Amino acid sequence: MPIATLAPTTSSLSPTPIVRRSLPWRAAGWTERRAAAHLLSRFTFGARPGEVDRVLDLGLDRWLASQLAAEEPEAILDRRGRTLPALALTGPEIVARYPRKGQRAKAAGATESPRELVRQLVGWKLWRVQLAENQLAEVLAEFWFNHFNVSATDNAARPHLLSFERDAIRPRVLGRFRSLLGAVARHPAMLLYLDNARSTAAAGAPTLVPDRFGRRAEMKTKRPRGLNENFGRELMELHTLGVDGGYTQQDVIEVARAFTGWTVGPPGLAGAGEFRFRPGAHDSGPKTVLGQSLARGRGIEDGEQVLDLLAVHPKTAAHIAGKLAVRFVGDRPGPDLVARLARTFLGSGGDLRATVADLSIAPEFWDGEAQGAKIKSPLELAASALRGLDAVLLEPVGLGREIARMGQKLYAYEAPTGYPDRAEAWVNSGSLLARMSFGLELAANSISGVEVDLGRMFSAREPASASAALEAATERLMPERDGEAIRRRLTPWLGAPDLAARLRSEAPPIPAPPLDEEGEPLIETAPGQASGTSTKSPAAASLVQVVGLVLGSPEFQRR
Amino acid sequence: MTSPSSPWTRRALLKAGGVALLSFGAGPSFLARAAAASSPGNRKKTLVAIFQRGAMDGLMAVPPLGENGGERLARLRPQLAMKTNGSGRVQAGDSLDSELAIDLGVGFGLHPAFAPLAPLFRAGQLGIVHAVGSPDPTRSHFDAQDYMEAGTPGRKGTTSGWLDRALAAGPSAHGAPSPFRAVALTPALPRSLYGEVPALAIADLADFRLASPGAALDPAGLTHAAGQGFEALYAATSERLLRNTGAETFEAVERLRALGVSRYRPAAGAEYPAGPLGRALRQIAQLIKADVGLEVAFAESDGWDNHVRQGTAQGGFARAARELGAAIAAFWIDLEERRSDVVLTTMTEFGRTVAENGSGGTDHGHGSCLFVLGERIAGGAVHGRFPGVAAEALWEGRDLAVTTDFRSVFAELAAGHLGVARPAELFPGWSGERLKLFRA
Repeated sequence: MPIATLAPTTSSLSPTPIVRRSLPWRAAGWTERRAAAHLLSRFTFGARPGEVDRVLDLGLDRWLASQLAAEEPEAILDRRGRTLPALALTGPEIVARYPRKGQRAKAAGATESPRELVRQLVGWKLWRVQLAENQLAEVLAEFWFNHFNVSATDNAARPHLLSFERDAIRPRVLGRFRSLLGAVARHPAMLLYLDNARSTAAAGAPTLVPDRFGRRAEMKTKRPRGLNENFGRELMELHTLGVDGGYTQQDVIEVARAFTGWTVGPPGLAGAGEFRFRPGAHDSGPKTVLGQSLARGRGIEDGEQVLDLLAVHPKTAAHIAGKLAVRFVGDRPGPDLVARLARTFLGSGGDLRATVADLSIAPEFWDGEAQGAKIKSPLELAASALRGLDAVLLEPVGLGREIARMGQKLYAYEAPTGYPDRAEAWVNSGSLLARMSFGLELAANSISGVEVDLGRMFSAREPASASAALEAATERLMPERDGEAIRRRLTPWLGAPDLAARLRSEAPPIPAPPLDEEGEPLIETAPGQASGTSTKSPAAASLVQVVGLVLGSPEFQRR
Repeated sequence: MTSPSSPWTRRALLKAGGVALLSFGAGPSFLARAAAASSPGNRKKTLVAIFQRGAMDGLMAVPPLGENGGERLARLRPQLAMKTNGSGRVQAGDSLDSELAIDLGVGFGLHPAFAPLAPLFRAGQLGIVHAVGSPDPTRSHFDAQDYMEAGTPGRKGTTSGWLDRALAAGPSAHGAPSPFRAVALTPALPRSLYGEVPALAIADLADFRLASPGAALDPAGLTHAAGQGFEALYAATSERLLRNTGAETFEAVERLRALGVSRYRPAAGAEYPAGPLGRALRQIAQLIKADVGLEVAFAESDGWDNHVRQGTAQGGFARAARELGAAIAAFWIDLEERRSDVVLTTMTEFGRTVAENGSGGTDHGHGSCLFVLGERIAGGAVHGRFPGVAAEALWEGRDLAVTTDFRSVFAELAAGHLGVARPAELFPGWSGERLKLFRA
């Protein structure tokens, strides 16, 4: 079924039918198998065992259509989600349950630490990237969270982060950009992170009505009134127009004025932890934003109109198109591709589903050079490894730590820019070493909270030798990729029928670990190590070694 | 020592400077370089750069006093103004907890959280450059940091960083390169070190090794073999970035293993503050003393984006300043024997509004100040022309004007300390004057 015949979806995600024609892989000279693997490398967090065959069975167009519809049931994920108590709560309930540092003592009901909330947030992310059936939506959720980055290092924003991603971003990643932008601008996480919650009309500026309630709260906190430009600036520079978007310092001030009064209900009162518009804090004087005037005497409409204006601005279209091209095609997308995507974005009224669908039929997407052109982010690396090995994630903290060591502490990028999405930002000698170590540790089942069973994974064809293990591992982990090159390089190391035994005899003697008085080793071993596959048998040890090398190989760092 | 027919023995034990280096499968060229890197003749001049991310308020760090505009500044920032001890001399009471700014005796004060730096200023080793910054008007952290690190205000297309270019132009560009010529104690490679001279980036040198899962139970060197395997894979990959970075990685691992980072003991009296900045400067000091060929070191200091609750003697600014001041002071004590080899400089992307904002903080501004430390630095002085904070002197009516282009400072450091012959060429499109910072 060509994607073109996909009926306009009835869900609220997108109002428009989208794709005009079939994926052009054949014309671009790709085999169907290689094209399927490429689709999986771009629109998922990595192929799971047998997934290339499943895409082929369904048909490439149809598979993509179902990913764009994002309506696959998520039974496994839902079961995992039930183990995370915060997911059952609304945004304001989460804030009451996991209040920010220093406010736990004042809270009415039972509370838990904000750290525990971040643990659940990281767990939910890691489960989703590995297990979600609607992988494209998950890739986009990661993309848009990073685009609208809010950091958990900000104490005030932290309790709102789970709701920010779950309620503001995830439901809208295949909808209209204006809807996403609006949900983000109103979300307490963003209002607090970029300080708009504190921004009020400057002294002497007219406000709508005297707001007794708000004033009393102000007197209590002794917070002086005044404008804060932070959100106004980043809204234009990062969220919409881009840094070369042609706005001026005066525009920044005017936008900041337009959003005065957009704040968060204070704790302990009705509406605590929710978006709130305070007319008494809103500068109701006339404004001019990017040459458009906003009349005097208006309230929340000021901010909404600014969002209307920015959401369909050509500079915004070009900015968003460029970032999508960088994520899905390569670090340096050509101007033609960006211009075409920007036109789709503008022509569809900022329809994100249509824009992503357009990407999938772009000649640049199917350029032979595009395969493996991107360096995986640490999250993408970890997710693709877990997916490829069918690993079971029991507890997220250990894996989160590994990802941080590789340079991407989840939810903790401090700047509103989000993580840079290009190879140079991810590859340096420190992070590369961490990536290799991650491969070895994962294969050896020694990352806490993650279970890898290579024996089960390869049970269908027990590798008779190290080179058979190598062949199986490259096929499994990198379908339709440079497996042959890896095999050629590693084969000299695997010539022996019994790799592990050979290694043992060749290795320099290493003193046994020191023992304590009871004869137990003084050096503690991680839980996974004791039960790890590595020591079961020489054959298993060579499989561990080979899988670790493949996961840490340069080829597996690319997608 | 290596035999092509038997890759299993491609391991070499190298005695160099009394230290055994265990290499995983590196070829002879690496062995030669590692030996050179550990020879005593590899003593280098080192420039240490600390980037204060988030834009430090230069007017709070080094506030103007008296005729320089002290009173006017206090009026514009009623919640942020501080009194000074007003003596201009060394004070017993110059302490971190003081409510008073330290009077440097040259028309400027020093925030009390920087108290450990005051003696260095008075000893003539620490200089201050005020009203320094970029000619580009951006108030975006991202852009301003990008411009400063690239060394090209207003130009995004510059692919390399200025520190990397300084290394490429320096006199050590020839000869045996050390894998430690440029080291950033940061989780990601900073923009300043992008470029052709390889740079090592890692938050903590102690973590710089390949994991050895299961080693306690199976101490048979599996990880060692994995290192050989990885080295072969990375040497052969077609992707240039991965291939080059891979080669740097394997060299650096060997050197650090020989050095023993966790065993380092700083000199008596050098008490580094806990946290990433203290650790970074401590490890930089170790690398300098070990003569591994370090020429540029880079670290980061956070916490300067004080939009809210900037505070005075306490608060957001004081927290960040206390860490930075203590770390630099400890570093200087630790390096007492090697001070002639080292210059340290701070930098920050821009300053902050002269007036406080509505949240007890300051918003993004323009000019700020920086610190330069070294035995040959003309210390004890505030360099540059301070434009004042009178209404007519402010940039765009609100910020401290920039009277010294940051490139005037960077070029001076590259020439005066790293020996770059034509420092202006490090900054394409710039033909300004260097700011004189070294004593004759």
